[in-house]
Amino acid sequence: MKKIINLLFVCLLAISLAACGTSGKTADPEKKTTAEIPTKIDKPVTIEFWHAMTGGLEKTLQTMTEEFNDSQSNITVKLVNQGTYDDLNKKLMAAAKSHTSPAMAQAYGDWMQDYINNELITDLTPYIQNKTVGWSEAELNDIVKVFREENTWNNKFYGVPFNKSTEILFYNTDMFKENNLTVPTTWDELEKAAQTLTKGNVVGMGFENAIGLNFPTWVQQAGGKFVDVDSQKVTFDTAEGKKALTFLNDMINNKKIARLAGEDKYMSDPFTRGDVGMYIGSSAGISFVSSSAQGKINWATAPLPGDKVASTQFQGTNLVVFDSAEDQQKLASWEFMKFLSSKEQTIFWAKNTGYVPVRESALKDPEWLKYIEENPNYAAAEEQFDAGYHFPHLNGAFAMKSAFSTEIQAVLVGQKSVEQGLKDAQKNSQDALDKAKK
Amino acid sequence: MNDKPTLNKTLKAVLYLLPALVIIVTFSIYPIVKSFFMSFYTDYDYFKDLVYARGLDNYKVIFEDPEFWKSLGNTLLFVVGVVPLSIIISLVIATLLNQKIKFRGLFRTIYFLPFVTSVVAVSIVWRWIFHSQYGVLNYFLGLFGISPINWLTDPTWAMPSLVILAIWKGLGYNIIIFLAGLQNINQQYYLAAKIDGAGAWERFKNITVPLLSPTTFFISIVSIINSFKVFDEVYALFGGQPGPAGSAETIVYYIYNKFYGEWDFGVASAAAYVLFLVIFIFTLIQLYFGKKVNY
Repeated sequence: MKKIINLLFVCLLAISLAACGTSGKTADPEKKTTAEIPTKIDKPVTIEFWHAMTGGLEKTLQTMTEEFNDSQSNITVKLVNQGTYDDLNKKLMAAAKSHTSPAMAQAYGDWMQDYINNELITDLTPYIQNKTVGWSEAELNDIVKVFREENTWNNKFYGVPFNKSTEILFYNTDMFKENNLTVPTTWDELEKAAQTLTKGNVVGMGFENAIGLNFPTWVQQAGGKFVDVDSQKVTFDTAEGKKALTFLNDMINNKKIARLAGEDKYMSDPFTRGDVGMYIGSSAGISFVSSSAQGKINWATAPLPGDKVASTQFQGTNLVVFDSAEDQQKLASWEFMKFLSSKEQTIFWAKNTGYVPVRESALKDPEWLKYIEENPNYAAAEEQFDAGYHFPHLNGAFAMKSAFSTEIQAVLVGQKSVEQGLKDAQKNSQDALDKAKK
Repeated sequence: MNDKPTLNKTLKAVLYLLPALVIIVTFSIYPIVKSFFMSFYTDYDYFKDLVYARGLDNYKVIFEDPEFWKSLGNTLLFVVGVVPLSIIISLVIATLLNQKIKFRGLFRTIYFLPFVTSVVAVSIVWRWIFHSQYGVLNYFLGLFGISPINWLTDPTWAMPSLVILAIWKGLGYNIIIFLAGLQNINQQYYLAAKIDGAGAWERFKNITVPLLSPTTFFISIVSIINSFKVFDEVYALFGGQPGPAGSAETIVYYIYNKFYGEWDFGVASAAAYVLFLVIFIFTLIQLYFGKKVNY
């Protein structure tokens, strides 16, 4: 009897293994040229758009999607909220594995790197260059340069910029007035302001816990470079790198005129409590600061102070189309992407969310100009477009980022010396890149 | 009822077992087998299920990775910190709750609450308790003249705070199991001991502890296995970071990062198998000693 049970169990195992082992359709690797993509949608098409927008952001996205759906006779876009960015990332990976990817999704630059390496997302160049459904040269170049570059791999476009933000300086205007301070525009002024503001329970300057991740910005502001993309050589351990880390370390650990968000998670809480006089953080945090600052403090924003040069990293997701979608769905997705990145919609999106408009023409539009005149806090991010960069496309970027951010953090929490931290940051990031090259 | 097994009856039994078996096979057995094979993939296309080369490289990579050893060390530290303390504290509380005291039911519920509350909710509360400026823990320590500790931002205190959270979180489950064990001990032993003039400590030492040993044994095995797999607590307590400057990175966090962060599926599987082996060896050792000291 035991044998029969065993036999049954083995059969069951075999069946389920076989069922799970067989993979679905094989993706066709054929690249389509401009002529080959369909340019007309004649049957009703439904596409899913997986996103990670919550609260007010989601509502704005819904409004825009409804407007798009109403304007189309055949295309229906279905929004699917997948929780946090982390959740979205995991679900997109799982969906790709089980061949159930959505037509469209939000994706960060380093996710796109992985998607491209695994041939998961569609090259949008044929769509952009298409005469019927594409963009004119001027329309393409109207997309802010740093976003265009971020979405380009080997002269091919893989994404359209969507919710974009950068780092800005938030400062407490009450405290600045009390101390007769002006907005710092250089590192020296930043340090002096922090020194003046630090008294009693107030710490002058605040940095987000993710400062390690943004350390490349500081190196670049000091006039240095943190990686050479062509040779894949990491260059943190340089005079500029040392200058940047010493500056931060002095402020936080030696002079105690700056602090990290630490257990508060994000600086917006201590800032609006009045525990710090100013802080550097994402422009996407403006809405959080303005809601929790109400009735507590007065505040404003400014572009990042620089040292030798101005520099700031632009972050946020792009829109991508998955290659597993049908041709008609891809075209429908492209139409929706065009809509979301149009001048009117990107202004609407920026006004309602605090992200930056992704088109140059939007920045000069009277509607936008009027808006930032009334809400000057939203201007600080877009004023930095010229100084903007995106994290370079590197295989192993995720491992590299976590390697250097851990080391920089170790220095700033007082666990390692500046020299040791830089040395380790350089070595571990280089290892991460070398490992990914294999 | 309990007559001889026949083919018919077995088939019937299989039918009843089938739903559970299907679920176990698809969600446990299949991934276990699959990840075992995946740990040997060195050159592969994960999404198209194509494997070009197999080998032991993934194991070589993790054994040469200082981060892997650090996270393994942290995990061992966590196990050593949590398991013995958790067992002792919950045994003491269970013994107290087994007495005839007022509001016994209420206390039992209170102690069980942490276990049924989600880790994320618990962590939010503990983030506040651990807060260096506004937290109750530092306030309490301040009453004894101890200067504030940066529980969550100082790398040296990250592991201790994690251990404190885990002990508190695990108490409820252990207490319930201990209570069940305590109630299985025949009261006559205690009565006999009392007649012989044994004090409370003597009774606890010579009756409760030995007769409870199968329960203690079960709890120690389960706690060790669970402690080795710690992840949620780290993720939630430090806000999605493995502690300040990576100081509280555990082995499952390492696996998670390799899999979801770096898309290094082979290395993640290899690390998972190393963890499996470590737990397996620990459990074998426990079983060996468990047999020796079973009453």
